[in-house]
Amino acid sequence: MTLDIIIENSPTFILAIPLLFAFLTAVLGWVSEKIGEILFGIGLALTVFFVGVMSFEVLTAESWFYVFGAESPSPENITSFFRITFIADGFAVLATITISITAVAAGIYSYSFMKDESGLNKFYTLFLLTLAGVNGMVLTGDLFNLFVWFEVTSVASCALIAFKNYRGRSVEAALKYMVLSTVGGLVVLFSIGLLYGQHGVLNYALLREGIAGSFTFLDKLALGLLAVVFAMKASSVPMHMWAPDAYGEAPGSVTPFIAVTSLGSLFVLFRLFFGVFSVGLDVAILGSLLIVLGALSMIVGVSMALVQSDLKRLIAYLSVSQVGYMMTAIGVGLATLRSGEGFGDLAMQGGLFHMLNDGVYKALLFLSAVAVIHTTDIRSLNDLGGLAHKMPYTTFFFLFGALSIAGIPPTSGFSSKLLIYKSVYLYSPILAIIALVVSIITFAIVAKAFFNAFLGPDQSLMKRRISKPMLWGMGILTVVLIVFTLFPNVVVAEIVDPAVEGLIGSLEGVLP
Amino acid sequence: MIDIVLENWSPIVFIVVLLLNVLVAYWLYSMGNPEYKKTKYSGDPFISGNRSPKDVKKLHVAGDNLFWGFKKALKRYYDPLIDGHTGRLNDYMIWVVITLAVVLIYLYLVV
Repeated sequence: MTLDIIIENSPTFILAIPLLFAFLTAVLGWVSEKIGEILFGIGLALTVFFVGVMSFEVLTAESWFYVFGAESPSPENITSFFRITFIADGFAVLATITISITAVAAGIYSYSFMKDESGLNKFYTLFLLTLAGVNGMVLTGDLFNLFVWFEVTSVASCALIAFKNYRGRSVEAALKYMVLSTVGGLVVLFSIGLLYGQHGVLNYALLREGIAGSFTFLDKLALGLLAVVFAMKASSVPMHMWAPDAYGEAPGSVTPFIAVTSLGSLFVLFRLFFGVFSVGLDVAILGSLLIVLGALSMIVGVSMALVQSDLKRLIAYLSVSQVGYMMTAIGVGLATLRSGEGFGDLAMQGGLFHMLNDGVYKALLFLSAVAVIHTTDIRSLNDLGGLAHKMPYTTFFFLFGALSIAGIPPTSGFSSKLLIYKSVYLYSPILAIIALVVSIITFAIVAKAFFNAFLGPDQSLMKRRISKPMLWGMGILTVVLIVFTLFPNVVVAEIVDPAVEGLIGSLEGVLP
Repeated sequence: MIDIVLENWSPIVFIVVLLLNVLVAYWLYSMGNPEYKKTKYSGDPFISGNRSPKDVKKLHVAGDNLFWGFKKALKRYYDPLIDGHTGRLNDYMIWVVITLAVVLIYLYLVV
């Protein structure tokens, strides 16, 4: 009985726990920073536990819709427009797992990395708020609730970027992020107003019904506005320029966590396209929108990464390029959704597997780059060299992340890219060629970064050693990547396939 | 259930073959001359026959020097691309507005 209650309410706990512990950390952290640290650890662990509970139930039993404000959270009560719903399906599981893995690694890393900073209770509070916000974005099935979580994520992650406020560059990056996020939030709110005015509902499933009945000019306007805002937050080209600033200047330990909030926006974009708007218009049109943005992101992201000498900005541009792969693959899946082409499903598999991979290897690359910067106080590749002599573990972690992002066999990055190449080729060979060439250039870039930072004679650049929690943070990500690398079929069958089915079939048959 | 294309790809087999290659490479290495003695210059990088500099920093090719030919060959592509990344918030917003306009026009004309 108790177990059933825990399972049924796990989507709520995933948000309630970090919110509660964010509050406790902020309040009790004033008494002692140690208490704040402990509360942060408990909050993070409990959140991940409930993600595990929800994932286990969805992957072994069934998906469900959690309805707030009703006598019971069963789907029959969804019909009232003001009741917020959460969607616990395979797609939400994939998203929350990706977020959780990064959060755990970044959290453990932060314990040691941030220890010399003051006001750590605020840092941990912001971390937990960002975690709640991004989980809320991917779990919610209600447009206004989406706006709320969007704002929570934006505000908390903006404050995290500016946390080292004695550095002018951090404050500048946070200001840029804040202005773009605020404008984005207003546009989202305006779009919600347009859709509510048309259909009188905010729930995804009810909205889907309304749009299927009549797709008006204002719906089209709302679709365009939402698509652009979430593409911008996902750092899609040409709206990607905030990302290298934010990723480059955020405190090192949370950089991958900020990056995963971008992935959260991408999850939302896909959910809205498939779950809400795909019934209103030709899916080929929606799909081609994603494909064009994706192809642009791949090309421009990798081109700009090639000319970077700052290690963190280089990885940031590579992450823009990787977003392009996911948008292209999911775009192909969406464009062929109703054509019965088998490669559409393959593209979806590839795209979603790549999202899972990307969340992990990008975090690993960022954390190992931060370890280099932390150890040497040097960010420029022009001044680094020979670190493999003194940092063998970090060298291995960086190398593994680099091979994964470049899609070199046998890494899991290769497995997901293989699915993307094959499916995208069947849709358009030109797209496959772009994806392949971008992968080759990515390899050249990470080879340059690895060579510059780690190879060559020892230059005695180390000023301090990296601590064990930092190594554990990177180690966790490496272990996850090794599992993905060795058993890609299992990951695809057990995690990615349910996500594809959740995305394609999301919200169909929800209404009683 | 969706068909899995990855059934033709086995990372474990790949790793086993890779390890076999490493073993073969080690076997070839072990067949080298065991009486070889290191000289004063052993292990120094070969720089077109010049003596290697004493400053270790000069032995390492710095980041910007790699791919300079690629960047030079694509100068006409890279110059406007880099110029477009100004770092100014105004420009970031302009790109958002431009994208928004293009997407809305596309949806208006096509749908």
